[in-house]
Amino acid sequence: MTAVPVRPTPRSARAVRSLAMPAFWLLVALFVICGMRLFGILETAYGKYPRATLAALVLFGLYAVPFWLFIVSMDFLEREPALLLATAFGWGAAVATTVSIPGNQAIYHLASKLVSPEFAAAWGPAIAGPTTEELLKGLGVVVIVLIARAQVNSVLDGMVYGALVGLGFQVIEDIVYAVNAVAVAGQGDAIGPVIATVFLRGFLAGLWSHTIFSALVGGGIAYFLVHQERSTLNRLAGAMVGFGGAWLLHFLWNSPLLADGVGGGASGLLLGLFVKGMPALILVLSLARLARTREARFYLAQLGAIHEPQIATPEEVGTLGDPHTRARARRHAKRIAGVKGERAVRALQRAQCRYAVELARLRTIHGTLDPRTDPVLRHRRRAVLDARYRMAVLGLPEALPGTHKRGHALWWALLAVFVVLLVFSALRALGGS
Amino acid sequence: MATAGVRLLRNLASSVAVLAVILFVAFGLPAINRMVPAGSDQVGGRAYGVGAGVTVVPPPDARIDLTSTRPGNDRGTVLFLLGPVRYVIVVTPFGGSIDEAAGKLRTKITSTRGYQVTDGEHPYTTAGGLTGIQGCYSAPGRLGRYAVFLSDGRSIEVTVSGSEGELAAQMAQIEASIASIAQR
Repeated sequence: MTAVPVRPTPRSARAVRSLAMPAFWLLVALFVICGMRLFGILETAYGKYPRATLAALVLFGLYAVPFWLFIVSMDFLEREPALLLATAFGWGAAVATTVSIPGNQAIYHLASKLVSPEFAAAWGPAIAGPTTEELLKGLGVVVIVLIARAQVNSVLDGMVYGALVGLGFQVIEDIVYAVNAVAVAGQGDAIGPVIATVFLRGFLAGLWSHTIFSALVGGGIAYFLVHQERSTLNRLAGAMVGFGGAWLLHFLWNSPLLADGVGGGASGLLLGLFVKGMPALILVLSLARLARTREARFYLAQLGAIHEPQIATPEEVGTLGDPHTRARARRHAKRIAGVKGERAVRALQRAQCRYAVELARLRTIHGTLDPRTDPVLRHRRRAVLDARYRMAVLGLPEALPGTHKRGHALWWALLAVFVVLLVFSALRALGGS
Repeated sequence: MATAGVRLLRNLASSVAVLAVILFVAFGLPAINRMVPAGSDQVGGRAYGVGAGVTVVPPPDARIDLTSTRPGNDRGTVLFLLGPVRYVIVVTPFGGSIDEAAGKLRTKITSTRGYQVTDGEHPYTTAGGLTGIQGCYSAPGRLGRYAVFLSDGRSIEVTVSGSEGELAAQMAQIEASIASIAQR
C-alpha cells in the first residue's frame, strides 16, 4: 500500500460535533479548574509585585507573538482552526503548568529522600521536568485529537498543536520565573529582574525550550494517527520516538551536564548553552521542514495534476511549496505593482492552496473529481480565477519569485547586528566583561 | 466502521484515561511522596555542608528535611527541624553590602502576610569570624530570629521560627549552631 502522508479533513467535519464528545466536557472542566488555579498564582504574584507581574505578563505576551506566527505559518496549505490553536495554547498555559507543579515537587522530593539531597539538587530537575511536563503537554495534543480528530491530518499538524501547547507552557513558566527573580532580588517591586529573565529565559534558553520539545511529542502522536497504512507496532514506535526524543532533549537541557559551560568565563557558558540547545532546535526544525515538504508535495500534486495554467502554472506550483519562494514571489510583485501587487499575489497563493486542499479532499476521501458538478470546488476555482484576473489587471502574469537580490543584503546586515548585540548582551548577563 | 455509539464510548474511555493520568500526576505522585518519610537523617552535632563551602554544626537533636534541602557548588539551602522549630540556612551569590543583604532578608520575611520585623538589629560575629547582622521577627502564633552574613561573594541567610515556648526551649542550642557557621 502507498504511504499517505496526509489525510485531508473531510467536509463533514463540524466544530459543533465536538460538543457531543466527553473529551470536550473534560477539557472545559479542566480549563475552569486549572484556569482558577493559574489565576490564583498570578493574583498572588500581582498582590506582592504588581508592576513586575504586569511587566512580565506584557513582555512574555509580546514574546509569544512571533513564535505563534512562525508556528502557524508552518502550516500554510491547510490552516488549523484558530479555536483549536488557542485551545492548544491554553492547555499548555493553564492545565500542563498547574498540574505539573505538585508532580514535579513530588518527584524532586522522592529523589532527595531515596537517593540524596545532592543528587536531587543536581539531577532532580532533569528527571522531574521531562517526566511530568512532556507527559502533560502531550496529553494536550491527545485531547485535541479526541475533540477534533479530523483536524489532525498530517505529522505537521501534530507538530503545530504540540508546539503551541509548549509555547503556552513556556510563557506561563517564564512569567512565574520572572516574578520569582523579583522576589529573590529582594529590591521590592522592581522591573529589572523581569527584563533579565526575559533575556535569559526568553532568548538564551527560549529558542530550544518547551515549544521545541512538545512539537516532537505532537509529531509522534500525529504519526500514530495518520499513518494507518502501517502496522500498529510501527505507529506506536513513532509515537514513542516522539515522546522519548522530547524527554531526552528536555532531560539533557535540564541536566547539570555542561552547566559550567565549555571552557571558562561567560563565553564558555554561552557556548555551553548553544551546545546543549542548538541540536534540539536543528533536529525539530529539520523534522518540521520534512513534514511540511511532504504535506506540500501531497497537496500540490493535486494542483499540478489538473494541468490548467489559468489555475496554476507548473512554476507557480513549485513556488507554493516553500515559504521563502512564496514570500519572494510577493516581494517581486510588490516591486512591479506596489502593495496592491503583493496583496494580489498573496490572494492568488491562498486561493490556489484552498483549491489544492479541496481537490485532495475530493480525490482521497470522497473518491470523485468533477470540478464542473461539485459546488465547493467550483467556488474555489472561481476564487483562483478572480485572483488571477486581479493580478493580470496589475500587469502580473504569474506569481513567481523574481531575480532581484537588492534588499536581502540589508536584512542580513540587520540580522547580523541583532545577533552580535544579542551575543554581547548575553556575555554581559552571564558575567563576562 | 465504528458506529456513533462506539465512537462515543471510545471517546469516553480515552477521556477517563487522560483524567486518570492528570489525577496521578496532581495527587498520586504527591501521595507516594508523603508515604516516604522525609526526616530520615539525624545530622546534629557534626559539621554539615550547606553549599558553596559554607558549613554549620546543627543542634544535637536536629533532623534534616530532605525535601527542602538543596546543596550546590555556588549556593545551597538546608532546613533543619528541631521538633516543630524550623531552622533554615540559605547561601546565595550576592554582590552588595551587609546592610543591603539584611534589607533583602527583611523584605523576604515581611513579604509573608502577617510577618513583622520586631526589634532593632545588632552586629554579630560567628566563632569562625564571619561578621553579620542579627534581628527578630514575629508572625501570628510564631516568633523568629534571623541573621545574615557575607562571605566570599555570597550572602548566608539564617532564619529560625517556632512558637514562643518551642523556640525558647531550643534557642540556646540554635545560637550555638549559628555561631558555628563557617566558610571553608
